[in-house]
Amino acid sequence: MRTRFLIVDDNDLVRQSLRTVLQANPEWEIAGEASNGQEALEIFKTSHPNLVILDFQMPGMNGIETARRILEIAPAMPIVLFTQHASAELEKHARAAGIRSVVSKTDTFPMVGIIEALLGPADRPPADGERPQD
Amino acid sequence: MNEQQKVNILMVDDQPAKLLSYEVILKELNENLIKAHSGREALDHLLKNEIAVVLMDVSMPELDGFELADMIRQHPRYQKTAIIFISAVHLTDLDQLKAYQRGAVDYISVPIVPELLRAKVSVFADLHRKTRQMEMLNGELRSLSARLIAMQDEERRRIARDLHDSVGQLVATLSMNNGLALMQAEKLSPPAREALNQNTELVKQLSKEIRTISHLLHPPLLDEIGLLPAIKLFADGFAERSGIQVAVELAPELGRLAPKVEISVFRIIQECLTNVYRHSGSKTASIKIWSSDEKVLTLQVCDQGKGIGVERRVSMSLGKSNGVGVSGMRERVRELGGTLDIQSNGNGTTVTAVIPETTAATVAVSY
Repeated sequence: MRTRFLIVDDNDLVRQSLRTVLQANPEWEIAGEASNGQEALEIFKTSHPNLVILDFQMPGMNGIETARRILEIAPAMPIVLFTQHASAELEKHARAAGIRSVVSKTDTFPMVGIIEALLGPADRPPADGERPQD
Repeated sequence: MNEQQKVNILMVDDQPAKLLSYEVILKELNENLIKAHSGREALDHLLKNEIAVVLMDVSMPELDGFELADMIRQHPRYQKTAIIFISAVHLTDLDQLKAYQRGAVDYISVPIVPELLRAKVSVFADLHRKTRQMEMLNGELRSLSARLIAMQDEERRRIARDLHDSVGQLVATLSMNNGLALMQAEKLSPPAREALNQNTELVKQLSKEIRTISHLLHPPLLDEIGLLPAIKLFADGFAERSGIQVAVELAPELGRLAPKVEISVFRIIQECLTNVYRHSGSKTASIKIWSSDEKVLTLQVCDQGKGIGVERRVSMSLGKSNGVGVSGMRERVRELGGTLDIQSNGNGTTVTAVIPETTAATVAVSY
């Protein structure tokens, strides 16, 4: 089964590049895209992703708040925060909210490796990740 | 109040004839003359009107001039009102001293020289008018300065946001595209591979530069997460850029404060650390924020540097060479209803600002 991604970023160009990067792996596909937190929540409920990539600074709800809301629906959902503002301080808050990893937009090279590690066989969530898990 | 506006002059005497003579003498000053026939009546006028000068007889039945002066001085609004005593009987040095102790600006004995009385009253009427003008202009300046600070904050926020939304995203895209190309770098010729590697490094540097500029303009964590994480992140960045170790001690229970308070506290810390770097020569600094009780927030920034030199302190106390920095900090704190204090000696400098937490913050800084 292919791994499905939900991409959330308010910038078209960034989403487009993320799409290209992710689709370079034939086992990965884009389940949905959203340009803000609210839209992300709606698309999350219907697109059944295995992993969510979230921008931090977006109009309206920020990435950490969006992550909290997604994790209320699907507590085990792996979420990666993808941001220009990556820092130890932000990572601390992101992790406290349940986000698994923070990737800097300024250094995206490690991203694919981080995603692979998050999707490791033992950690792979079911495709219908929206179902609450203990 | 402008230069032409009339001021109120209150004349107090129990003898109508005297009141009439004062009126005749002072008429040509072209101010508003108010007559009171007793201390009680005078108090009544004082409550209703703004009085520039009180001209009063010392000997009056019921409430004499000294007692009336005491009562007037008790009211905060009239602590600086000019009181001129007129007396025909109490003329000893002790009497005069008594009057001046009660805040009199002059003590005139009878017989009155009309020109002298007129000249004296005129001086204090003008002084009052000018004081009021100054207060008004001062108020206007303060409100202008508060508006300018707020606009500057907003403008910085906007530029930081624009940087993030435009250049920042383009650089992020560049970085991702480079990443894609790097995955297939083995297909490139060695010079092309080298160029790609170089570009990747350049994009990282560019990104870091933009990030630093954007964070200094307006810290993104301030709006999104709150004051304390924004301060910690700023202190980390400052330490990295300046080589000055910054100890941060922040009350963790401090929740979100009003946006105006959060940005002001952040800017004060930013200003203080900039001063530590520029002037103190200190290798260490500390930031502390605590809530002393439920109603007061205290912020303290200290260093162990050489302190503010005598020359600079003198020019600061004269309001010269103060820089926008310290004035800006003062205005921010004043705007929040707090106070800012700067203490400095050869072992460091401490600036302390105290702000009620409803509007919120106390700051002590050393540099």
